[in-house]
Amino acid sequence: MAGNKGRGRAAYTFNIEAVGFSRGEKLPDVVLKPPPLFPDTDYKPVPLKTGESEDYVLALKQELRETVKRMPYFVETPEEKQDIERYSKRYMKVYKEEWIPDWRRLPRELMPRKKCRKGPRSKKATDTGKGPSLTNPADVLKKIEELEKKGDGEKSDEENEEKEGSKEKSKEGDDDEEDDAAEQEEYDEEEQEEENDYINSYFEDGDDFGADSDDNMDEATY
Amino acid sequence: MTQAEIKLCSLLLQEHFGEIVEKIGVHLIRTGGQPLRVIAHDTGTSLDQVKKALCVLIQHNLVIHQVHKRGVVEYEAQCSRVLRMLRYPRYIYTAKTLYSDTGELIVEELLLNGKMTMSAVVKKVADRLTETMEDGKTMDYAEVSNTFVRLVDTHFVQRCPLVPATENSDTGPPPPAPTLVINEKDMYLVPKLSLIGKGKRRRSSDEDATGEPKAKRPKQTTDNKEPIPDDGIYWQANLDRFHQHFRDQAIVSAVANRMDQTSSEIVRTMLRMSEVTTPSGAPFTQPLSSNEIFRSLPVGYNISKQVLDQYLTLLADDPLEFVGKSGDSGGGMYVINLHKALGSLATATLESVVQERFGSRCARIFRLVLQKKHLEQKQVEDFAMIPAKEAKDMLYKMLSENFISLQEIPKTPDHAPSRTFYLYTVSILSAARMLLHRCYKSVANLIERRQFETKENKRLLEKSQRVEAIIASMQATGAEEAQLQEIEEMITAPERQQLETLKRNVNKLDACEIQVDETIFLLESYIESTMKRQ
Repeated sequence: MAGNKGRGRAAYTFNIEAVGFSRGEKLPDVVLKPPPLFPDTDYKPVPLKTGESEDYVLALKQELRETVKRMPYFVETPEEKQDIERYSKRYMKVYKEEWIPDWRRLPRELMPRKKCRKGPRSKKATDTGKGPSLTNPADVLKKIEELEKKGDGEKSDEENEEKEGSKEKSKEGDDDEEDDAAEQEEYDEEEQEEENDYINSYFEDGDDFGADSDDNMDEATY
Repeated sequence: MTQAEIKLCSLLLQEHFGEIVEKIGVHLIRTGGQPLRVIAHDTGTSLDQVKKALCVLIQHNLVIHQVHKRGVVEYEAQCSRVLRMLRYPRYIYTAKTLYSDTGELIVEELLLNGKMTMSAVVKKVADRLTETMEDGKTMDYAEVSNTFVRLVDTHFVQRCPLVPATENSDTGPPPPAPTLVINEKDMYLVPKLSLIGKGKRRRSSDEDATGEPKAKRPKQTTDNKEPIPDDGIYWQANLDRFHQHFRDQAIVSAVANRMDQTSSEIVRTMLRMSEVTTPSGAPFTQPLSSNEIFRSLPVGYNISKQVLDQYLTLLADDPLEFVGKSGDSGGGMYVINLHKALGSLATATLESVVQERFGSRCARIFRLVLQKKHLEQKQVEDFAMIPAKEAKDMLYKMLSENFISLQEIPKTPDHAPSRTFYLYTVSILSAARMLLHRCYKSVANLIERRQFETKENKRLLEKSQRVEAIIASMQATGAEEAQLQEIEEMITAPERQQLETLKRNVNKLDACEIQVDETIFLLESYIESTMKRQ
């Protein structure tokens, strides 16, 4: 091409003067990596504004942050079931107001659907509908009574409550609402049976007391 | 939406509504309008939780729903509205300055709850105010209602779109989602309510809390089963009006800094007069005659007509062009150039950033290029009177950070570099956008750092809260000084030190967020105003 001074000779295709470098001058190094994550600053930042109004707005901001956590709009993530149910957790729960949106303004598909439960189980109080909600103490007591009537063996009341409450909550979180409430009940019972130390069939058959015990022993005797 | 904006939205949603709502919200911001099932499938959350999250988001005006063909309802997130959550404290403080505590609480309740009926707001605010008053005194509903009506009249609070009233419901199945409509003139129409009552304290000792019943209208009691007279009429805070107010404040303080108090008062009067007559996106206000301005000056200001005219001429001649003269009738017609004012404010912000980041010589070069529009390398060195090497270095630094850009002007059609002019120029719009993006990133970093600091010291914070609770309960039951001392010593001196440091750091980070948000507001207003004019 015209203007090429010959092979191998370094030549710029444009007037280097225009960009500000003179010929033969050392050019700045080529940058081979991204800029540092925390670059050094030559100048310190300007101090923040201070004053009465700034303090007030700051206080407002911090209060607002605390308030929104207590509002019914703050949806808690359903906690995974912990290995050890802490007794104090039950008493440290924050009670929030229930919020019911105006359904006339919202699309119908957002309404929680309540499936009708099968016959005898309809008396059982269960938490349905919108996500995890607090276990109603009255419902839980009712449930305990009914379960006791069924004669599921000896369990402590609190263990029952805790497990049912937390299981129901985790079920609410995971299950699709299509799940029948009846299935929920059965599953609860099964889980309860596995979780405690007592063997359910141990005391049920009085005659075969000695014979059956060996078969049903899950745990080692010391 | 840029990555920085999405990150900031995610942090804000998480702080306000928890992780589930955050997941759904961010997904919608990223992907645009989507129906319910697709959201549940893509985010892997249960249908139940998605429904709840959407209810919360719609309630707070962050997501809108639309019915598409074949009955599919799509949900779309409003990213810019989510970013406004950062500004809530500023809105509440503004309401306080304008309408004192009652106004402050009304706006706070509306922002916290998204939308509410007037009766619900009045009741809640009256209760809250009564809590803070001395024993025996209660807050009357009428006073709160008055403040509410004043807020509506000045357009700080507006009506939400309504569900259209359906006369006959048997023309086929009802639509899957209501299409909400609002009439311009209905937006600030307050329904005729007569709210009688007083605020209640939470203690049950207040027997005379309810007012006298009126025979015709149901009185506002704690009984929820009574029909609410303004059912279905919801109100929300009108953020645009607040933004207008902030913009006016910024212009007035700029004039005060540049000139003097009197000129800023004149500009404030002009802005106040054009509050309701000028639409929010207009480039300049309606022309105001000098006589009108003279009549509307605040009562305490005793300046003569002549002095006012002199000030107006001075303002109109100022190179910043905040005020312009549009005619001579009525003693001179003057307008405020809103767009130019916002442009000047944005430019000032840019200059200040360059100065603080790169030094005052860089700032000189920046201002020079801004003024002369296009300059060659050689010309920059000559005009700025800075040695060539340093000038080159500074220009390249600013170029790499995108404050300055290069404009190529080819001499020949083949754009050969040796025969092309390279001119340095500043495009305020693109520099403003770049700075805005950096601001979003800064706020996201600040929030993350604050959360990190709080998490690091979580154990200590919980301990101190427990100790405070114990002390409070002991004081209530009347404990001795020695016992209280003992409890207080549960927190050792180095721990106290650590808590102090933590508190100071968190306060600093919070204050930073608030002040970066002020810059964000200026830049956003400028960009919005420029885009509207194109």
